[in-house]
Amino acid sequence: MTLSPDIDIKATRLTKRVKLTEGSLTILNDLHLTIKRGESVAIVGASGSGKSTLLGILAGLDTASEGEVFLAGQPLHQLDEDARAGLRASHVGFVFQSFLLLPGLTALENITLPAELAGIRNAKDRGLELLAQVGLSERRDFYPTQLSGGEQQRVAIARAFITQPKILFADEPSANLDEKTGLLVEDLLFDLNQQQGTTLVLVTHKAELAERCQQQYLMHHGQLEQQLPSELQEQRHVG
Amino acid sequence: MWASIAWRLFWRELKRGELWVIAFALFLAVFSVVMLTGITESVRSALYQRSASFLAADLVLRSSRPFQPELMATADAVGLQQAQQMLFDSMLFSDSEMQLVTVKAVSSEFPLRGELVLRRSHQPGQGELASFSAGEIWLEPRLLSLLAVSPGDRLELGMASLQVAGVIEAEPDAPLNVFGGNPRVLMHLDDVAATEVVQPGSRIGYRYLFAGSTPQLAELRQQLDPQLSVHEQWQELDPETAIGAAIQRAESFLLLAGLLGIVLAASASAVAANRYRQRHAEAVAVIKALGATTTTARKIYCSHLLLVSVFSSVLAIIAGIVLVVFIQQGIQLWMDDYQPAFSSRPLWMGLLTAAICAGLFAARPVWQLAAVPAIAVLRQLPAWRFDVWHLATGALAVWLLMWLFSKEFMLSLILFAACVTFALVLMGLAALLVKVAKPMAAGQSSALKLALANLRRRLWQNSFQLLTFSMALFLTLLLYFLRVELLDQWQAQIPAGAPNQFLVNISAAERPGIEAFAAQHQLELDTFYPIVRGRLTATNEQQLRQRASKEEDTERVGVGRELNLTWTSELPANNSVLHGRWFSEQTLGEVSVESELAERLGILLGDQLEFSIGGRTVSATVSSIRLVDWNTLQPNFYMILSADLLADFPASYLSAFYLDAERAQVLNQLNREFPTVIVLNVDAIIQQVQDIIAQVTVALSSILLLVFAAAVLVLVAQVQATMEQREQELAILRTLGARYAFLRNAMLLEFAALGALAGILATVLAEAVLGVLQFRLFELPFQLHWNLWWIGPGFGVVVVTLLGWWQLRQLLAIQSSVLMRRAIYS
Repeated sequence: MTLSPDIDIKATRLTKRVKLTEGSLTILNDLHLTIKRGESVAIVGASGSGKSTLLGILAGLDTASEGEVFLAGQPLHQLDEDARAGLRASHVGFVFQSFLLLPGLTALENITLPAELAGIRNAKDRGLELLAQVGLSERRDFYPTQLSGGEQQRVAIARAFITQPKILFADEPSANLDEKTGLLVEDLLFDLNQQQGTTLVLVTHKAELAERCQQQYLMHHGQLEQQLPSELQEQRHVG
Repeated sequence: MWASIAWRLFWRELKRGELWVIAFALFLAVFSVVMLTGITESVRSALYQRSASFLAADLVLRSSRPFQPELMATADAVGLQQAQQMLFDSMLFSDSEMQLVTVKAVSSEFPLRGELVLRRSHQPGQGELASFSAGEIWLEPRLLSLLAVSPGDRLELGMASLQVAGVIEAEPDAPLNVFGGNPRVLMHLDDVAATEVVQPGSRIGYRYLFAGSTPQLAELRQQLDPQLSVHEQWQELDPETAIGAAIQRAESFLLLAGLLGIVLAASASAVAANRYRQRHAEAVAVIKALGATTTTARKIYCSHLLLVSVFSSVLAIIAGIVLVVFIQQGIQLWMDDYQPAFSSRPLWMGLLTAAICAGLFAARPVWQLAAVPAIAVLRQLPAWRFDVWHLATGALAVWLLMWLFSKEFMLSLILFAACVTFALVLMGLAALLVKVAKPMAAGQSSALKLALANLRRRLWQNSFQLLTFSMALFLTLLLYFLRVELLDQWQAQIPAGAPNQFLVNISAAERPGIEAFAAQHQLELDTFYPIVRGRLTATNEQQLRQRASKEEDTERVGVGRELNLTWTSELPANNSVLHGRWFSEQTLGEVSVESELAERLGILLGDQLEFSIGGRTVSATVSSIRLVDWNTLQPNFYMILSADLLADFPASYLSAFYLDAERAQVLNQLNREFPTVIVLNVDAIIQQVQDIIAQVTVALSSILLLVFAAAVLVLVAQVQATMEQREQELAILRTLGARYAFLRNAMLLEFAALGALAGILATVLAEAVLGVLQFRLFELPFQLHWNLWWIGPGFGVVVVTLLGWWQLRQLLAIQSSVLMRRAIYS
């Protein structure tokens, strides 16, 4: 299958089933999705609808039961775990809901960790630059436990951009933060995303956050339904 | 790339305390092994050096052939110190008396070990200390009265005339058997030729005494063994003596302590490894999500294990060796001539333990850690499944360690089987507790209910914790009770007031006089045992050889010397009938045989034994086999015959009494009134045995303390392993409004219940294992330890509650807001 160069992510006939003691549960069911380079896409949906499962498969963290996934031109469904790890190291950045910084590393070291894993030399300068961009230059040698939740997430955002990834996956990036801090973090995420021209795949249950993306999809019964901004506003009012 | 990350993470995690638990567990494992191996070797070496003083050398070669210069040349070539000794019986003549004596002629170098104390005086404790030289003869004190001589007089031995120099006060290699043998004299080896008593056919015992380092002695044995004939044999410490038995038992105990230390160490490293795996699963998922392959993650975390193993092992070996050196210096305080021996065994045993603990207990969890999927960053990991293979390899490793360390296949198998049984029982009880605690814990409205609920949840999730709590308590209880038991046994062998003066060679006519003398001086006389000397010559009409030889294995081996035969219708104290029945008043023609001799000679109930007594042959049927406690230093006999067989032979009598050291003058009076009665003072021998018991007690107590400390450390590691979970639960309960006192009480009750359960389980197992060890290792009958049944559970409650409180009190003091923050961001 030939993929257009302007497409960063393409998923076709994606199905994910998991085995339970009671039987089999289908989380994703014949799902299709195409995301163009530089596009920002929000995936919304109720808790347990399969948003995070989809994000995991698109990012190569997990595999689908059926279907094909292309990421940065590479067929994820044909790659083994190590090859997928290599692809993530060079093309993908992550921001997680619970920050997931390594407690044994300082803020700066957490930021430069993906670069070191990708074998990029002299990542420290780039790390310091990003640290300044997220406003934490004075916290470079602080350990995660010495930082507030907002500060930890800002470090996580800087970490996501250190390898200048093509694609950024964010899973509920402000869900663990208070509203004010959450907004600051969201602004930072979108600012950096725009500066770097990164493709953004954002999973959230917050309609306001989803509205800031160019495309919005609703996860429902294992499939994606494209949403219009008006529909999201409606959801927000209802919510 | 990975190395740089691994190195930084290693130091940071070490600094943050993340690796301390596993580092500490490995340290504990290696330190325990180095320390226990080192101490065991030091104490064993001290005991053997002390035992060497009873041989007057490190090694003795006995021979019935004259000294062979080439043997001595071989010893010289190896670099050993050596001395020679001749032993023979001869008549000694004074102007008015004569006496059959055992002559010990020694070379100038004697003794190589131990102390020879000679006094230029007529009795021990008085007069100038001296050393022996040619032309002199030194006497056992009783010989002065028997021969009616004083220092300065001359005695004739064969063709030589020797001057009485004084008395022998202490002789390192004096025989411990006080009931046989002639009075002893000591002279210089150079004077033997002049006596002309050594003639072809004379029964002379030649002894080569050697002293040197263990490798030198081993080399000598290796070189000499092929050259030895049937006339030569190496002399070992006699295990039948009280001292030999004390050393053997001490060794068994120290060995056991070593085994138990290994079990504790293995438990600690397994706990630490599992905790490490649980705590680092998320970090591995993050690293993998950020682009690390499984191999990279494995390299990072396995290198941590390698670094922490090396770091801990080096520190543990240094600490262990420092402690061993310290203990060796302590040994020197009570044993002046102790020579510390530094062997490489503790070192390589420590390294081997580190490799096994890290490789078989910790490596698998760390290896599996790298297999955590990257998707774990997005969804909760499934609970860790019970790893049967980890358990199986760990168990196999424990047993292999036990076997390697003890070199005792059966003992290691028994201990291991006990541990496995204990684990299975524990698992079953944990399941039972779940059922019992569940209805009780419904609706957590009181501290007790909350404690039970916590206990139930944690027991089910991590019953390994209960297992190690119980194991640590079990090992401590086992060691404590074994120590108490051993000391009791040893003390019981020589109880206060046990006879220390033996009267030998009492004629029938003298018995009433002796009884009157005892009554007059308030001495409690033991039974009068009649003694007739005789030789066992045949069993079931088959002649016995008198000595063992290499060539004639098919021929039955005899006792090799004359026996003291007695007759009595009452079973002596410290004797019990193993097989058959004891004599009745009407018994005719029967004999009772001591069990070990019976086993050695293959004597069974109903066998016909023939004795040669005073030129006559006496036949007797074996009607009982007796178990005799030889360690009591009380009159004991290999053969007791029915009265009808011996009553017609002229007999002398033996009796004993206890005399305070302050009343020693009574002995002089006894000697004056009964000059032909020989008084043997066994105080010196009893003192030697008690001395060894005291030294071994110190060693046992220190090892018990160390094992207890190790057990406490395992408990601490276990509580640490549940810290994160407890912190999260505490955060929730605090948020829901639980008060400090409520949470404190719940925590204390939880640990008290856990301690009680662990204590009860440990008690049951300790009682069972004590029973097995009593039977298998110490050859003692089974006895229930009543004290154990309240000390065990009580000890469990107190120790576990205090340790739990000590570790978790700081957690309770943390403010709710801090707890919540940690719970959310962790």
